[in-house]
Amino acid sequence: MIRAAAIAAITLFFGTLEAFAKSDESLVTELSSQTVSIQSNFTGTEIVIFGQAQEIQYRPDTDLDYDLVIVVEGPPQDITTRRKGRLLGVWVNREAETFSNVPSFYAVASTADISEIAGRALLDEHAIGLNHINLAVSGESNVSLSDRDDFRRAFVRLRQDMGLYSERETSITFLTETMFRTNIPLPANIPVGDYVVKSFLFHEGDLIANTNDHLRVAKTGFEQITFELAREHSFVYGVLAVILAIFTGWLAGVIFRKD
Amino acid sequence: MSAVFRRSPVQLYLPIAEIPVNIFVIFGMGGAVGFLSGLFGIGGGFLLTPLLIFSGIPPAVSVATVTTQVVASSASAVVTYWRRKAIDLKLASVLLAGGIFGSLIGVILFDILQAIGQLDVVISLSYVTFLGTIGGLMLVESVRAMRRRRSGEPPRARKPGQHNWVHGLPLKVRFRRSKLYVSVIPVVGLGAAIGFLGTVLGIGGGFMMVPALIYLLRVPTSIVIGTSLFQILFTMAAATIFHAMGTKTVDIVLAMTLMVGGVIGAQFGARMGQNLRGDQLRLLLALLVLGVGLRFAVDLLLVPEDLYSIAIQKGAGL
Repeated sequence: MIRAAAIAAITLFFGTLEAFAKSDESLVTELSSQTVSIQSNFTGTEIVIFGQAQEIQYRPDTDLDYDLVIVVEGPPQDITTRRKGRLLGVWVNREAETFSNVPSFYAVASTADISEIAGRALLDEHAIGLNHINLAVSGESNVSLSDRDDFRRAFVRLRQDMGLYSERETSITFLTETMFRTNIPLPANIPVGDYVVKSFLFHEGDLIANTNDHLRVAKTGFEQITFELAREHSFVYGVLAVILAIFTGWLAGVIFRKD
Repeated sequence: MSAVFRRSPVQLYLPIAEIPVNIFVIFGMGGAVGFLSGLFGIGGGFLLTPLLIFSGIPPAVSVATVTTQVVASSASAVVTYWRRKAIDLKLASVLLAGGIFGSLIGVILFDILQAIGQLDVVISLSYVTFLGTIGGLMLVESVRAMRRRRSGEPPRARKPGQHNWVHGLPLKVRFRRSKLYVSVIPVVGLGAAIGFLGTVLGIGGGFMMVPALIYLLRVPTSIVIGTSLFQILFTMAAATIFHAMGTKTVDIVLAMTLMVGGVIGAQFGARMGQNLRGDQLRLLLALLVLGVGLRFAVDLLLVPEDLYSIAIQKGAGL
């Protein structure tokens, strides 16, 4: 299915390229699909990003002074990171730090090591790379300043373990001298919402072009109905769960009746 | 982490837990716990909730979803007791009034604990306490019963008309079916306590309700199980609705898979249970209860693999 989508996207992409070929855009990008639907058999998928960077004359054997970075960012969340400590012999959550407005999903693909592509200020400004995401802490916190970085590192590591944050250097491949593609895996636990795919073209440390594409991750069909019912009409959802349970129990009682 | 995802027909995406699970594993868990609940004549919530937690379903989803599963398993049994007319409806209604109140308090507490990040530890500690106490008592009782049987000593019969402190309380009400004349205070209190625990821990509470009704209120044994089941059915129905509205963690797909596995397993368990002696069954159950309690205790005491954990407070996916 992914392959079929990719082929369709390539066809579409070449169509788009023709249109762009005459324009002086130095960076053009296209997604393999605009939406990702989550259904009952959803176990993760991947999104393919194609693009053309006109000024690049990519040759594997020469030093590339052009660099590409593609960042896929999910809708923002407020996330609390907690650390366990021993209390009366039992391990319980003691300190907590809440990071506000952090991306629920963050994947970056690039042509080189992020730190070699551009200066720190530029990377911070565009939140390029796991070390450059803006992890703003909320006001209240019982974490000492010296421990904050431990919480930041733990947060990024846990998100990486869940497959929700990733940094894959040199994962952008060139199909021709100017055309590139990369795949970003989207794991099964991916949050729903509106995503932004940001592509950046750097030349010797300067940002010379960037594009934004939009991706929508949504539950569809039964998953969507169930999810929305549970969120927006929770009483009806609860009653429905009870009716279903009583009916199942009653049915079993009747089927397996012994006397 | 490698990022290879295959579409597999055994993977089922849970819409509320928002994770894919192996449908056969979940079905098997429901079946295994159903088998044990049929074997021992228990609801099985106190086994199913820990099993789900240990297998990686978020504790909040495990607890809330098992309350729904308990509705199904008790509904199945209530049908039988209803037919035998072995339910004291008046007693069950008074217990239920307490149960719904207790359940409501339970959901409110659950919400607060979840917000401050202490839900998991409270669930674990409560399981250690309850399973440890009840498992221990059952173990002692069943070993005694087995010794008595071996030495040929007849079990001590309880004197009829024996009273305890409960029978001195005011606001007495007559429960004809149970041949009881007792204060409503302990009845409502008992219902509330079980409703509260059931909602917070994801258990029906039959294994606490039945002994309490027998030893505390002196309800005749012929009526006790049906009445207890009837009260559990409706308290857990209320708990399901409260959880759906409050914590929003009832996963209907997970519940349905567990239910179907559970009701089938229970039938096989009940058949096998008829071939085992009561004291042997109780010894096995006691060991099982203690084992689950011990597992929670170990998790609390050992240095955790990861000291850090994260929880989404606001935004996408919430």
